[in-house]
Amino acid sequence: MVSRMKKHIKNIISVGLALSITVAMSLTAYAGEPYVSYNYDAWGDAIPSQSGYRVDETITGYEMELDKLADPKSDLFVSETEPTNLSGASDIFYEKNTKEFWIADSDNDRILRTDSNLKVIGCYKGVSNSQTSVDAETGLSTFSNPTGVYVNIDKATNKPVFYVADNKNARVVKAVAESKNSAKCMFEYTKPDSELYANASRTFNPSKILVDSAGILYVVVSSVTTGAVVFSETGEFTGFYGANRVEQTAAVIRQAIWRKFASNEQIASMTRNVPVEYANFDIDSEGFIYTVTEAANASTDAVKKLNPAGENIWNTATGNEYEFGDLPEFADCDTSKYASRLTDIVVGDDGIINLLDYETGRVFQYTQDNDLLFIFGTKNGTSDQRGTFTAPNGIEAIGEKIYVIDGKKNDITIFVETTFGKYVHEAAALYEKGLYEQAIDPWNEVIKRDGGYSLAYYGLGKAYLNTGEYDKAMENFKVSVAKSSYDRAYKYERDDFLRANFTLIIIILLIIIVAIIVLRKLFKKGIIKMPKLKKKPEKEGK
Amino acid sequence: MYEFSELGWLKHVIFHPVEGYDDLRWKKKGSMKISMVIVLLLFVAMVVNRQLTGFQFNGSYVKIFNVVPLFVQSIVYFFTWVIANWALCTLFNGEGTIKRICIYSAYALVPYIVGTFLSVFISNFIVSDEIVWMNVIYYVGLGWSVVLMIQAIRTVHQYSFPKTLLSIVFTLVAMLVILFLLVLLISLFQQVYVFIASIYTELTYRFRG
Repeated sequence: MVSRMKKHIKNIISVGLALSITVAMSLTAYAGEPYVSYNYDAWGDAIPSQSGYRVDETITGYEMELDKLADPKSDLFVSETEPTNLSGASDIFYEKNTKEFWIADSDNDRILRTDSNLKVIGCYKGVSNSQTSVDAETGLSTFSNPTGVYVNIDKATNKPVFYVADNKNARVVKAVAESKNSAKCMFEYTKPDSELYANASRTFNPSKILVDSAGILYVVVSSVTTGAVVFSETGEFTGFYGANRVEQTAAVIRQAIWRKFASNEQIASMTRNVPVEYANFDIDSEGFIYTVTEAANASTDAVKKLNPAGENIWNTATGNEYEFGDLPEFADCDTSKYASRLTDIVVGDDGIINLLDYETGRVFQYTQDNDLLFIFGTKNGTSDQRGTFTAPNGIEAIGEKIYVIDGKKNDITIFVETTFGKYVHEAAALYEKGLYEQAIDPWNEVIKRDGGYSLAYYGLGKAYLNTGEYDKAMENFKVSVAKSSYDRAYKYERDDFLRANFTLIIIILLIIIVAIIVLRKLFKKGIIKMPKLKKKPEKEGK
Repeated sequence: MYEFSELGWLKHVIFHPVEGYDDLRWKKKGSMKISMVIVLLLFVAMVVNRQLTGFQFNGSYVKIFNVVPLFVQSIVYFFTWVIANWALCTLFNGEGTIKRICIYSAYALVPYIVGTFLSVFISNFIVSDEIVWMNVIYYVGLGWSVVLMIQAIRTVHQYSFPKTLLSIVFTLVAMLVILFLLVLLISLFQQVYVFIASIYTELTYRFRG
C-alpha cells in the first residue's frame, strides 16, 4: 500500500515536472530569428551572443510591384509576358546620391531599378546604339544573363550611368539611362585583343564589375586568375589588378619540389598551379578595393583589402592575424562540417565590412581592424522562414540595414540592427576613431546586454589605459584575453607603483641589508647560535 | 669524510654535480622519503606553472583545468623512467638497484623544480620585455637537472660517460614502449569492464522482471 502510494506520488511529481518543462519551453518559443546568434570569444570558441540584427522584412517581386512591368496601363509597361518575379538575381547595388537600388535580375535578362523602398521605378532589357545581340522586334541590344551592375551619376546631365556585366554576351556595357525603360549605350568593353590578355582561347565573360572615382573599370572574369581585368576611362585594356596567390597546400609544395628534379617533358605534363580568381569586390569611399574569394576554405587571400597599387593591406605576413568567416574548428548545432565560401563583400558606413557566406548563408560583420562584430543569417533546406537563404548571391549595406539578395528564393531579405547592434556600432565607430573614452558608455551598454562580448571589454580596457586607470584596464584586458595590451597596462601600473613607493622600498632594502650585517657580526662573536638540524642516528654501523 | 643530515646530503649532491653522487653512493646515503616528496613537488610545480604563471605569459586554456595530463607528465613519467632504466641497465651490467635509481633521479630533479617555481614567481612581477629573466631561470634549472641526471645514472650504474648517454637514450625508448603497453592494457581492461558491466545490467533487468 505504502509503495503504491509512493508510486502515485512519484507519478504526480513527474507529470508535474514534465508539464512545467513544456510550459517553460513554450514560453521561450517566441518568434525570433530562425538561427542561434553566436560570436567567437577570445579563445576562438563559438558562444551564444545577442543578435546584432533582426529580420525586418522579405521583399519579393510582388512587394516590388513588378507586375507593373506586365501591366499595359502602367507607365513602366514593358511587355505582357514580362516576368513579375525575380529570377536568379545575382547582384544588388545601391546608388547613394539618388538613393536607388539597381538589381541584376540575371535569369530574366534585365536590370531593375528601384527606389529606396525597393519599389520598381525602371527596367532595362537592353540598350540602344549597339550592334551586339540585337533583338529583331525592338531593335535593342539585349542583355543576356547580366550578373553585375554598377552605377554612377553623370555630374553634367544628372542621369545615371550604369555599367552592366553582360555575362553571356561577353561584354561590359556602359549606358546612360534615358528614361524609365530605355538606355543608350555609351561604350562597350569587349575581350581585349592585347598581347597581355594573350591566349586566344581565353574567354571574356564578366561576372562582377566596379568603377572607381577616376572612371577606371575593374572586371572580374571567371576564366582570368591573374586578377581583375582593368580598363581605363577611355575603354582601353590596361592590365590586371590584385591577383590572388596560390594557396600553399601539401600538393602544391610537393609539386614545387618535383619540378626541381623533373625533366622539361615531365614539367610540361604537370598541371599548373594557378590561384583562385576572386568572386566579388567592393570599393570604399577612400578608393580601397576589397576582394573576396569564393573557393571553399580558402585561407590564402580569402579576403583582401587592396591599395591602388594592388597590394594587400590585410596581409598576414606582416605580422597581424587576419581571419574571416567561420573558424575551421567550429562545429555548428548540426555536426556536419562545412567549408566557408565567401561570395560577396560590402563596405558599409564607418568602414564596417560585411561578408556573405554562400555555404552557410551567414553574414559576417567586421570592423576595419578585423574584429568580428556580428554573425547573422542562416541557410535552410526548406527555406520557408524569414532570414534563411537558399542561394545568397549579393549583399548591400545602407545605414542600419543590410540587404541580402537570394537567387533561388528570388527575394531580398532586409535585416535591421537591434538596440544591441546600435550600441556595438556606436562604440566600434568611436573606438575606430580613437575616441576610446567616449566609447566607455556604449561599451557598458553592450556588456549589460551580452556579458560575453569580448570586444567590449577590450574597448573598455583601451579606454581605461588612456585615462590612466591601469588596474581597471588590466581587469578588462584579462577578461578579453588581450595579453600584449594587458602587459602594457601592467607595465604602467608597475611604474606608477614604483614611483609612488620608491622611498619606502629603499628604506626596507636598507633595513634588510643592515640586519644581515648585524646578524653576521653577532654570529661571528658567538652571541647567537645557528639552530642546528637534528641529526638522524646512523642506521648501519660501519 | 662528509657527515651531513639527509637534507644536507641533498644540498651536497645538487651543488657538487661532479663528485656529489659518488660521495652519496660511497656513504650509502639518500632518503626515499625525501625523493618521494621531490616527485610530489614536481607535480605541484607543473600545476603551479600552468595555473599561477603571470597572465601575460600564460598560454594555457583556462576554461578547463584537467589535472590528469599533468599527473601523467610528472609522476607517471618519473616512475616509468625509473622502471625503464632499472629494467634496461640490469641487463647491461648496471649496478643500480631500483631504490637507488629512484632516489638519485629524484634528487636530480630539484634544480628544475626550483627553477620552475622561481620563474613562475617572477612572471607575476615582470613585463614581456623582461621575459628573458624568466627564461634564463627556467632553462638554467632545466640544464642543471639534465647534468645531474646524467651524473646520477652514471654513478648509480658505475658506467662510463658514453655508456651513460647511450643508456639514457635507450631508457627513453623503453619508456615509450612501457607507456604504449600501458595504454593498450588500460583500453583492454576497459573493454573487459564494459563487458562485465553490460552483463551485470542485463542480469539486473532479468531479476527485476
